[in-house]
Amino acid sequence: MSLSDAARRDTRFAREVAQRFATRSRRRSAASLLWPATTLIIGVLVTAALAVIAQGQYSRNEKRLLRLRVRDAGALIAGSLPGLQTPLASGVELADATNGSVRKFERFATAYVGTGPGRFASLSLWKLSSPQRGPVAVAGLAPKLAQSKSNASAFFATVARRPGLKVMGLLAAPDPRLGFAYATSGLGSGYAVYGENRLPANRRSRLQSSNQFAGLHYAIYLGADQRAEDLLTTDGARAPLPGRSYAVAVPFGNTALTLVMSTQHSLAGSLPQRLPWIIVIGGALLTLVATAVTGVLVRRRRGAEQLAGRLESIASENRKLYAEQRTIAQTLQHALLPDRLPQIPGVETSARYQAGEHGVDIGGDWYDAIDLPDHRLLLVVGDVTGRGLQAASMMARLRYAIQAYANDHDDPATLLTRLSDLIKVADNGQLATILCAMIDVGGREIRVASAGHLPPLLISDGEAEFVTGAVGLPIGVEGDASYASIAVSAPPDATLLAFTDGLVEHRGEHLDDSLERLRRAAVARDLPLPDLLSTLIRELQSDAATDDIAIVALRWTD
Amino acid sequence: MDGLEPERAASVDVARDASGAVIVTVRGDLDLSTVGILQDRVAPLLERDPPGLIVDARELRFADSSAIALWVGWSSAAKRFELRNPSPLLRRVIAGMGLAEKLGVGS
Repeated sequence: MSLSDAARRDTRFAREVAQRFATRSRRRSAASLLWPATTLIIGVLVTAALAVIAQGQYSRNEKRLLRLRVRDAGALIAGSLPGLQTPLASGVELADATNGSVRKFERFATAYVGTGPGRFASLSLWKLSSPQRGPVAVAGLAPKLAQSKSNASAFFATVARRPGLKVMGLLAAPDPRLGFAYATSGLGSGYAVYGENRLPANRRSRLQSSNQFAGLHYAIYLGADQRAEDLLTTDGARAPLPGRSYAVAVPFGNTALTLVMSTQHSLAGSLPQRLPWIIVIGGALLTLVATAVTGVLVRRRRGAEQLAGRLESIASENRKLYAEQRTIAQTLQHALLPDRLPQIPGVETSARYQAGEHGVDIGGDWYDAIDLPDHRLLLVVGDVTGRGLQAASMMARLRYAIQAYANDHDDPATLLTRLSDLIKVADNGQLATILCAMIDVGGREIRVASAGHLPPLLISDGEAEFVTGAVGLPIGVEGDASYASIAVSAPPDATLLAFTDGLVEHRGEHLDDSLERLRRAAVARDLPLPDLLSTLIRELQSDAATDDIAIVALRWTD
Repeated sequence: MDGLEPERAASVDVARDASGAVIVTVRGDLDLSTVGILQDRVAPLLERDPPGLIVDARELRFADSSAIALWVGWSSAAKRFELRNPSPLLRRVIAGMGLAEKLGVGS
């Protein structure tokens, strides 16, 4: 892969990732608004419902309290009316008894005239048969009723028609008054006593703050209707009264008094009045806090999901890159190994290279089979410690050095001595173990020399044995190291198997046990050479399979 | 995650004996992925040319050829090198590599 390919791929990847996240975050931003919005709506609805309920309750309670207060006030007024009627009735009886004595009436009336509770501004005695002639006797102020003869005649006509208390409003300014007349049922004498009370000039009368009805607005009308011209007195508020109001009618002689009261303040105290607002404000605050918290939680969750998504995408890209790199490493590895093994009459050769399951570096294992004159063949298997480019380049150096020197050395031991000058462990910490087996195909002789490498296995006729000679130092430990070779003769159909430690090495297992497992596996079945190699790798490879495996094998066929 | 080296751990402790020799105690598994821990820890000590370098392998579970190659390098660089308490398994691997004499672990 060229650099520009890599750059193109990286750009494309970045674009794909960006697009994926853009779609995902669009989809999620709608979802992330949903929860805070739902919380807000629920909070607002609950708050509103509670506020409405509290307000309704408050309102009903206030109405009930106002009604009770107005009825109390009405009862109070009704209770005071007989006090008004008594002097009038007594006056009539006196007039009847004294045949209308002016002097006696005046003496009687003086006690009830004046200012103060229970007193009249004016008391007068009238003859029912001739009201147009004015009062017979007067105590206190002159009755306002007398100013209009027609009014007086009409009023006393009603008084004469039906005995009892009669009420007359003389409400025209100035000096508005309320008149009361009383006549007995017998009408024998034909006298009526008439009293007048002055109303406040502007018909305003404030309640004292100590009054039990202080804080309430009130208005009292004469008659059943709340007409402005019938207003007797009020605390000063304009009609209609502000706030919540309630009216009660109190029978008053031939008519009635209508008492209207209202309040702008809470009768039950300030808490019930403020409760709906407290609920609204508290609910609004709670709703806002809950909405904000929900928003934060949703955002955090979205952040975590995005991070997870990003990590997943990075991981998947890593897997892809890893697989790619591993493929590259394996390709390079195979390029450093022989393309094909030499075809020599009388023997069959086969080899396997298997990269470890893990890791993306090139390994340091290799094998080789070098065709030499005189019907000879040099089998090589080696393992450079470490991995990566350094191990691979060292492996290539050794491999090509062996190919170059192979012609000059009949004995693999001297070949290894020559190789030992090539690398030094002090230079880069690398060692190489190498096994060289010089095969005299025709002479059926195998000469083996080992530089720290595992021994080859010689298989023949259902039996197998390792060709174990003196093991010399690995290449790299010392220059000009000395090696010894061992020669064995090959039985008919013999198979020689050379391998690297990846085939047998199991962590925690003794090397001798590992080698024994290989020996048994190699003789368990009589297989064609390529199948034998595949089977051994499959059966012996450790579960972790971390290490590379190189095997090269030769079998006599004639 | 797929495709990564399985996690293996190695830990290294360094001490000195009466003679001033460095004693390196290694625990766990030494392979290509962990041998760097040991190398990084010991390399600066080795540069000061101690009278000896001792690797105590009593608690070492496993060592592969890269660890052995490191020790071989140390055995050449240090005035005196000793691999102490190698397990029979390790001893066998070292012998198999022809390094028993070099690393002073007769099989």
